[in-house]
Amino acid sequence: MEAFRQEIIVGAVVAYMLFCVLTGLWAMKRTHSSSDFFIAGRGLGPIVVALALFSSTLSGFGFVGGPGLVYSIGVSSFWMVVISSTGYAIGFFLVAKRIRMIAELRDCLSLPDIVAARYGSEAVRFLIAITIVLGVMGYLATQILAMAVVMQAILSGTETFANIGLVTCVVISSAVLIFYCVTGGIIASVYTDVVQGAIMMVAGTLILLTAMSVFEGGMQEATSIILADDSEAIMPFGAAGVMASLGWFFVFGLGLAGQPHLITKMMMNKNMSDSRSILPMSLFGYVMAALLWISIGVVMRAAVIDGAIEPLSLPDDAASVFLSVFANPLLAGVVFAGLFAAIMSTSDAFLNIGTAAIIHDIPKAIWGRSVNNELLWARIVTVLLAIVAASFALYSHFRDATLVALLGAFGWGTFAASIFPVVAVGLNWRGATVAGAVTAISAALAINFIVQLAGIALPYGISGPLVAFVTSMILFIGVSLVTRKPDLPEDMERLLEI
Amino acid sequence: MARSVIYWIFAICLLMGGLLIAISLAETVPNAAGIAHPRFPGMQVGGDGAARLQFIGGYAFLFQSLLLVLIVALTILGVSQRYRSVEFMAYMATSLAFMLVVWWQMYSGHQHFLLTGETDYFMGFPVATAWQVYGTWLGAIPLILVYSLGFRKFIYTAEDEAAFQALLAEHKQSEH
Repeated sequence: MEAFRQEIIVGAVVAYMLFCVLTGLWAMKRTHSSSDFFIAGRGLGPIVVALALFSSTLSGFGFVGGPGLVYSIGVSSFWMVVISSTGYAIGFFLVAKRIRMIAELRDCLSLPDIVAARYGSEAVRFLIAITIVLGVMGYLATQILAMAVVMQAILSGTETFANIGLVTCVVISSAVLIFYCVTGGIIASVYTDVVQGAIMMVAGTLILLTAMSVFEGGMQEATSIILADDSEAIMPFGAAGVMASLGWFFVFGLGLAGQPHLITKMMMNKNMSDSRSILPMSLFGYVMAALLWISIGVVMRAAVIDGAIEPLSLPDDAASVFLSVFANPLLAGVVFAGLFAAIMSTSDAFLNIGTAAIIHDIPKAIWGRSVNNELLWARIVTVLLAIVAASFALYSHFRDATLVALLGAFGWGTFAASIFPVVAVGLNWRGATVAGAVTAISAALAINFIVQLAGIALPYGISGPLVAFVTSMILFIGVSLVTRKPDLPEDMERLLEI
Repeated sequence: MARSVIYWIFAICLLMGGLLIAISLAETVPNAAGIAHPRFPGMQVGGDGAARLQFIGGYAFLFQSLLLVLIVALTILGVSQRYRSVEFMAYMATSLAFMLVVWWQMYSGHQHFLLTGETDYFMGFPVATAWQVYGTWLGAIPLILVYSLGFRKFIYTAEDEAAFQALLAEHKQSEH
């Protein structure tokens, strides 16, 4: 079997991609309107929503950048993962019920639709839509780049494609993604998410078992090796230190309820009360899949320190090298398919919300109405958005090869700081005002971009997104407290009472 | 707290902002956020853990403690005021206590290691890290149980459902 390792892996990935294409064709028959395209007509069952929610949470950043971060900075990056239970809980308590109710009451298609209904303000709609487009560009580019890097690693191991270039891999992987997103919209996305989620759970579990068998003494031997080399790397705050770790806890934990590609999925369930089962199912799936992040990272760091394998040329190679060195070919095939699943499930969600922002929300905010023939334009813009993001990914890659992990964190941080106060707090507090929302979003965007673009390094590893998040929370509540409460329409007043 | 939760959230955020300023202004330690590994490119090491916490350890502990209080306060905000009963608030207090215990065990376990250089292991990880990995993951389980098991009691009751259906019906009627 070992002799056919590459063939098995390529076969698994090709089979997975064929499945995505067929799902796109199937979903096309069920997509008749922009409501179908963007929110699946609010008709999804709890298992579908739960799997779609968690598989969209764990992206290429989790499957490629995550193990790379553990390899690079040790336990520090665990904080992004272990906070998931708190993050999901906060998201459901603050967002799930209200966003679903507003979506049904006002027939909303997107997150900017929701905030426009809540605040009665096109300015807030516009700012949220712009935030989504900006964040989507960075995040989608990260996903496409991760997908191409993994594909190149797989195909370059075969004789036929030994010299395949990254650009070709970007084209192939983007083409599959675009095909099923354009044909089937969100219906194709969520149903591929179901299979993607299942693959990710299986992959995470099998990888943990494999990782535990790399060293005779299991995970404890691996962590002991790391401890002997640098104790801080395997202690709770890792190599990056306490404030970097706690910053990630804050931004990734609370920030989950500010991720538009996730909370939009909370609008899609058929019955309101399904949320009670969606929450534990999503969390269970996420935890199973995230075992891959932790176990590969720890074992690869220990194996390099121990001299069992050569040092990696890039931290982001941790997952692919682990699979080629330690995993059974069949498992490697499943996990590589899982990697594509993780990346594509997030990418399709981003394509969906980015397209909605461009053709539905920004025109509505400026001209008071969406474009004519939304469904046609949704398909056209999906293609264009993917092409622009792919170009951005290649540009970023050739300028700085370590951008996969960094761009992912930047996208998450931007969304968290800009959207959480306005949506998660604003949907539960009638005192929230338009001025508070506009101030918070503007400040969060400004701080995130200035810190990132100017390369400002704050003391003790305090991150820009953390500063932006705390500042936007303070400004949102503070400004809302000192400005006049808006007169909301009666239906919104009553809804916020429920 | 049940009635004034937004003010609590605001106060906590202000305190956290103040702590970030205090940490930024504290005496700095070289390589507090890690340094390149001397042998393996792409890897970082943390170095002297005690030195890294020397000037900001107390602030950092307080910051995380406040964050846990903020998480519970936000959870309370997500429940309609009329359902913030004594029973619900007791669940929230229990959840907070559980999360604070996990955080304290993790922090004090790390401190103990820094003082003694010795650690036991639990399920593959040094004890302090095991509290972080398993404890933090489990820390929010009480909140999830309250949401799932108490959905019809605290989140979306039969009266809520009736009120929403009535609102929907009126809205549809007014559209026609």
